[in-house]
Amino acid sequence: MIIPRAAQGVQVSRTKSAAGAVSFAGLWHRSRQLLFDALGLAIAALMLFPIYWMVATAFKPGREILTLTPTWFPSPITLQNFQDAIARPFFLDDVRNSLTIVGVMLVLALAVGFLAAVGAARFGFRGRTTYLVMIIGVQMVPLNALIIPLYLTLDNVGLVDALPGVIAVYLAAVLPFMIWTLRGFVANIPLELEESAMIDGSSRFGAFWRITFPLVAPGLVATAIFSCIQAWNEYIIAYVLLSSPSNQTITVWLASFTTNHGPQWGPLMAGATITGLPVVAFFLLLQRYLVGGLTAGSVKG
Amino acid sequence: MGVIGVGVALLAAACGGNSSSGNSNNPANETGTLTIWLMNGSAPQSVVDGVNADFKAKYPNVTVNVELQQWGDIGTKLDTAYAGSSPPDVVELGNTLVAKYAAAGALEDISGKKASFDNSSTWLQSLTDSCTVNGKLYCVPYYAGSRAIIYRTDLFAAAGITAPPTSMDQLLADGQKLMTANSSDPNFSALYFPGKYWYAALPFVWDFGGDIATQSGGKWSGSLNSSSSQQGLTTLANLVSKLSRADKTGDEAKQDAAFAQGHIAMIIANGWEVGVITSATGGNPALASKLGAFPIPSHNAGQQAPVFLGGSDLGVAAKSAHRDLANAWIQTFTNQKNMTQMATVGGVIPNTTSLLGLGQGLNAVFYNAAKNSKFVPNSENWANVENANVIPDMLVKIFTGQQAIPDATAAASTKITSILNGGG
Amino acid sequence: MATAIATPELEPASTRIHQRSRLLPYALIAPGIAVIGGILAVPLGWLVWISFQHYGLKELINHQGEWVGLNNYRTILADPLFHQVLVRSLLFTFACVALTVALSTLIAMLLQRVRRLVRVTLMSALVFVWATPVIVSVDIWQWMFDYEFGVINYVLTQLHLGNFIHHNWFDNPLQGWAVVTVIVVWGAIPFVTITLFAGLLQVPADIVDAAHVDGAGPWQRFWHVTAPMLKPLFLIVICLSTIWDFGVFNQPYVLLNERPSADYFTIAIYSYRESFGVTQYGLGAAIAVLMVLILIVVTLFYVRETVRVAEIA
Repeated sequence: MIIPRAAQGVQVSRTKSAAGAVSFAGLWHRSRQLLFDALGLAIAALMLFPIYWMVATAFKPGREILTLTPTWFPSPITLQNFQDAIARPFFLDDVRNSLTIVGVMLVLALAVGFLAAVGAARFGFRGRTTYLVMIIGVQMVPLNALIIPLYLTLDNVGLVDALPGVIAVYLAAVLPFMIWTLRGFVANIPLELEESAMIDGSSRFGAFWRITFPLVAPGLVATAIFSCIQAWNEYIIAYVLLSSPSNQTITVWLASFTTNHGPQWGPLMAGATITGLPVVAFFLLLQRYLVGGLTAGSVKG
Repeated sequence: MGVIGVGVALLAAACGGNSSSGNSNNPANETGTLTIWLMNGSAPQSVVDGVNADFKAKYPNVTVNVELQQWGDIGTKLDTAYAGSSPPDVVELGNTLVAKYAAAGALEDISGKKASFDNSSTWLQSLTDSCTVNGKLYCVPYYAGSRAIIYRTDLFAAAGITAPPTSMDQLLADGQKLMTANSSDPNFSALYFPGKYWYAALPFVWDFGGDIATQSGGKWSGSLNSSSSQQGLTTLANLVSKLSRADKTGDEAKQDAAFAQGHIAMIIANGWEVGVITSATGGNPALASKLGAFPIPSHNAGQQAPVFLGGSDLGVAAKSAHRDLANAWIQTFTNQKNMTQMATVGGVIPNTTSLLGLGQGLNAVFYNAAKNSKFVPNSENWANVENANVIPDMLVKIFTGQQAIPDATAAASTKITSILNGGG
Repeated sequence: MATAIATPELEPASTRIHQRSRLLPYALIAPGIAVIGGILAVPLGWLVWISFQHYGLKELINHQGEWVGLNNYRTILADPLFHQVLVRSLLFTFACVALTVALSTLIAMLLQRVRRLVRVTLMSALVFVWATPVIVSVDIWQWMFDYEFGVINYVLTQLHLGNFIHHNWFDNPLQGWAVVTVIVVWGAIPFVTITLFAGLLQVPADIVDAAHVDGAGPWQRFWHVTAPMLKPLFLIVICLSTIWDFGVFNQPYVLLNERPSADYFTIAIYSYRESFGVTQYGLGAAIAVLMVLILIVVTLFYVRETVRVAEIA
């Protein structure tokens, strides 16, 4: 590491003066910590404000919502909007559909994506570069441009207005990202670990299963969360592919709060709060794995 | 794509073969499943249930699925569905969209069946026009919406106005009285007019004898730049600049919520918006006793300006395997009994002049307005004019002063001429 | 090549395994390719095929277009609006990616330096933002920037930063795009920040400490020690952000009431408008194809670097 001379000089002089006043350095350190903490909280507040606005609105009575002078805190607090939202037809059906779609899609995507990632990370083979470029390139196609051909393709096999059709589309949309990320995680696990297990008599598959798989688990969790959010929040494909209200997803259900004379803010915000909760809960639950998982996967590429 | 094309043709043929409609004249022997798309909020559930019960009594072995569709991106969904092998048998279409789908061959020509629908001789003319493409009938009028001015009686009284205005000049004069009486309120609008609200701008164009476009010899020519159209737009621009503090680039989606906040004396609105303004969720029920309505006045004192007749029609898909059943369902839905239900329970304007007497109270004003109504140019390319935002963009340029009226209208007219004649 | 360690040739295994290993990678990637290809190949082919045809609503319903060769591409490339939209999309993408990566890096570094409670709070905030569906969050933002009822106008006026009562943020496209940028960056920060933060944790503390002892300032420590170690991560994040931001659709579309004027077109909106707005599906498809080609050119450097780094790993 080459450090410019001038910088060294600065550092030296600062060290000298700090040594002369230890209490001052401690004070400096503590106030800097305080500054960082304050900054962190300020950023959190700034990022959260629109979300706060959503949740606060969900608790406001109808007339308090659209006002020229905004009300910062819901008062009085009402649960009316939540009742209105849940009472809307097909709420439970659509929640169940969304859970089914995301659940089945995730299991399939993890299985297929994991195999593909192992293939790309552990083996050199002819066409690997093409394969990797294809995985990135597929993500560049705008989904909106594919609405009609996707519909026609699924129509040909009778999968329009059926959950498997949507699952298939989400699977294809999520897989490239998944393969790409998981590939990084697998590549990051030293091959030596597996090889030593093989010397001990394990089969190659056994070694992989017992040694590598557990180490990649956090990566699976991380990519699962990414894909879960993508699929749970998707709207236009679900809207076009699914026509009968009992077959729709939760985002299409949310769209029913927007009528031809604007959104019904109260129930819409309540509905959005309800639908957002499962994702946030899932995420918070796995947050630790996510950070650990991403770390393993990303740095070594 | 070839493969898809063949597949769809085969599927369509297969479905056609299975169709039982027309095999027998006895309704009780008819079988099949009808899929019907209605828009979210167009008909009350009780009316739809009643219609389906009536239909079931006649066709006990036919299953009817009424699926409510959401408004956002409905055009995308319709395009895609009609491209597929089994589009919904009956679809509610906004009346300005019919020509597009009819001309593309998505809808069945029902000219020969017109007489089988109740009241077809007294259907509202503008709705019938919207269903008619090249002289053929492609849909059944469903319901209409026409606009009038909703106003606050208490604010009028406080400003010393005793009766609603009966001419455009008086509308301006009364509006200015209201502005003066409420000059301490920086949010006050005597007439709240969002800049992109083109449905409400058309009456001004029409009232002075102008139009969006005229057709001669099969060619359309945009006429928003005609001197009479410009006169109407000048009058409107003057009203907006003096009486409105609404967003000059916004649309009308929020106007009811804004009105409920109490800083507005008048809005141009549909009859059903009274319900939105006074609803407990988002509106203000306390305003119920303080609302009045009057027709948009003409510049000729004592007359009414023609209004745009919005609304919906019901079309049968050309690819439907059960076209006769689909028409039978529409017959039930639009018969005398159920149209009366739509008017009395749903509060919308029914499809026939014979039922316009059902409008009571404030609603009577809106029902009456429907009698003197007009429609947009009936061209298969009209939807493209709408989707290209030609008129809203022109209005925004005029109201914000970005362009003078002659320039803005000339540009819009050129564009409309080009689009209606099949150009981009 | 470093990948050689994983190739079958160097493995001290029997011929049986050797034989099987040669086919194994293909067996492993086959299901993925089958799924992606099976679902996307026909639609992608359709898109390209249609881009060479005159394809309106009638053609769509009858599945029968009219071959026009390169006409759609000629029309678009000659359209001044396309050039405008393209330049705007590129500038917008650049601004969004730069802001997202810069801000996310700073927040990620801050996350390392705050105490635990603040870190959990900030992380949770990011998670909440991330988990809110775009169709809802854009609605909220639209409302916050509303002309009459917008809380932003109210706050700015209360803070005496000027008179923002009845201020229209979308009157002036430059200001409108600034709002769109804020919303897009806001939505993009969580993913990038959390990814970079995870990467930062991986940078061994002893190396950074060594640089500290050597007298490197915080900026130099970041530039010469941390950044190079995070390079693969930065590449992925920049590459993905570019793809996502170039394809932005919902934010301007919803903010302008689903009827944006041409001033607010992104390439994705332009393509959608040509397809579903004026039912020129051939033109819409051609724009989508051009969009992918342009994206490939724009991201060429990153994709090459990313793949190169991946090959070494």
